[in-house]
Amino acid sequence: MTDTVQAQPEDRALVRIRGLTTVLNGKVVFDKLDLDIPRGKVTAIMGPSGTGKTTLLKHITGQMRASAGEVWVDGLNVGELSRQALFDLRERIGYLFQNSALLTDFDVFENVAFPLRQHTRLPEVLIRNIVLTKLQAVGLRGAASLTPAELSGGMARRVALARAIVFDPMLILYDEPFVGLDPIALNQVLKLIRTLNETLGITSVLVAHELEAIKQVADHVYLIANGKVVGQGDPKSIEHDGSPWTRQFFGGEADGPVPFQYPAGDYAEALGFRQGAV
Amino acid sequence: MSAQIQRGENVVIGSLAQIGRCGLFLLRILAALPRSLRHARETVRQLWFVGAMSLTIIMTCGLFVGMVLSLQLYHVLSIFGGTSATGSVVALSVYRELGPVVTALLFAGRAGTSITAEIGLMRATDQIAAMEMMAVDPIAYVAVPRFLSGLIAMPLLCCVFCGLSIFGGHLVAVDWLGVDNGTFWSNMTSTVKVWDDVINGVIWKSLAFGGVVSLIAVFQGYTTAPTSEGVAYATTRTVVASSIAILALDFVLTAFLM
Repeated sequence: MTDTVQAQPEDRALVRIRGLTTVLNGKVVFDKLDLDIPRGKVTAIMGPSGTGKTTLLKHITGQMRASAGEVWVDGLNVGELSRQALFDLRERIGYLFQNSALLTDFDVFENVAFPLRQHTRLPEVLIRNIVLTKLQAVGLRGAASLTPAELSGGMARRVALARAIVFDPMLILYDEPFVGLDPIALNQVLKLIRTLNETLGITSVLVAHELEAIKQVADHVYLIANGKVVGQGDPKSIEHDGSPWTRQFFGGEADGPVPFQYPAGDYAEALGFRQGAV
Repeated sequence: MSAQIQRGENVVIGSLAQIGRCGLFLLRILAALPRSLRHARETVRQLWFVGAMSLTIIMTCGLFVGMVLSLQLYHVLSIFGGTSATGSVVALSVYRELGPVVTALLFAGRAGTSITAEIGLMRATDQIAAMEMMAVDPIAYVAVPRFLSGLIAMPLLCCVFCGLSIFGGHLVAVDWLGVDNGTFWSNMTSTVKVWDDVINGVIWKSLAFGGVVSLIAVFQGYTTAPTSEGVAYATTRTVVASSIAILALDFVLTAFLM
């Protein structure tokens, strides 16, 4: 186990992915994928549904092992870390789950306080202040005593966001952070992501489909399809780069390099029409 | 015919593999025991849920088991003119077999299913994954406290069950059917041996049953498919596997402890 490999000083990428190959149930999800997440920037990962964006986040956090290739986070090869070293790394990473993943046994306050209680011995008054500060940032200080069952989907995501940032991590991974947010909450979350990035220098990785939101917050965008990076660049200009991938994805077209239909047999035959009968 | 044999082979091999996985899971629980010491509060909380919250069903069933046992035994013993032995036979039956076995079966139905469903839903809603992402070991935080609480709660619940059974037996035999109160208690105290019947019968058996039921419940919940159907199957498997394990283990323990 190589737990002590340190980042090179000139390494400007916090996350470096090289030759990542993932095969799940016989399906190739990533095919020698190369990708860099720069330090202190907001990077968006976009792509068609089922293309493996969440799987990529799982590789970065070591929740899933790659079939081949390497994932380096802050100079550490995630695939070779021991369990304890992986947990040490995860203490420096915030992760916002698609479905919030709030602990249903606890109220909002305790959900946000959970990482602090598990990893620190801070006095109760300090824990209370930190939690209330994070809840204030996501606009839910007044909801501290509510249970997860009493929250709407958008509120639950904001609580999960407060929990993800409670340690002021070096890296935050947001899996679909804008789903279910009303325009006011969406705007506040965008501001929060930007503020965390600018004031604390936190590196952020966003998996999202909302290009307009991405344009407001991201510094760089990757478009992933067919297991590879098929486009990348400035979010404000990527949709006009002339590539058939970006044209189809951002134009929302059914025809293009990404098939809209899942592979299937002949349609007319499936409907019971013999060839030439209609 | 050969297809049926093949299917039978698959069932046997699948069951053995599942037992093996469960054994490996027990090793993971034991390895996480030192780390779970810092979650003592969670263990106490689980003890409340699986122990205290099971008291109503254990007490009610214990009372009725004692009452029906006393009623049946009185009528059988009256054929031989031995109704004075009702108290001792009720006590021996309850301490040696019915107490631990029925308590464990009830515990599997009440607390075991609840543990499996809770952990299964935690997995289905990514709460287990969220804990891992927050660098909290879910085996130490989720599995061990529930396993320990089952281990601690079962002997206590079994004692309550046995006490209420004796009380129920006394109600029927003495207060209803007219067996002499002194005879009921004196026969019982002269025939029941503390080590053979109470320690071996109640304590050791219920400890073993508590460990097995808790292990099965936690294992099924932790390894369930993260879907509503998966949680439903896991809950059913907890009851079926626990019931079979309790009765099989009861035979083995009885053979060794007698």
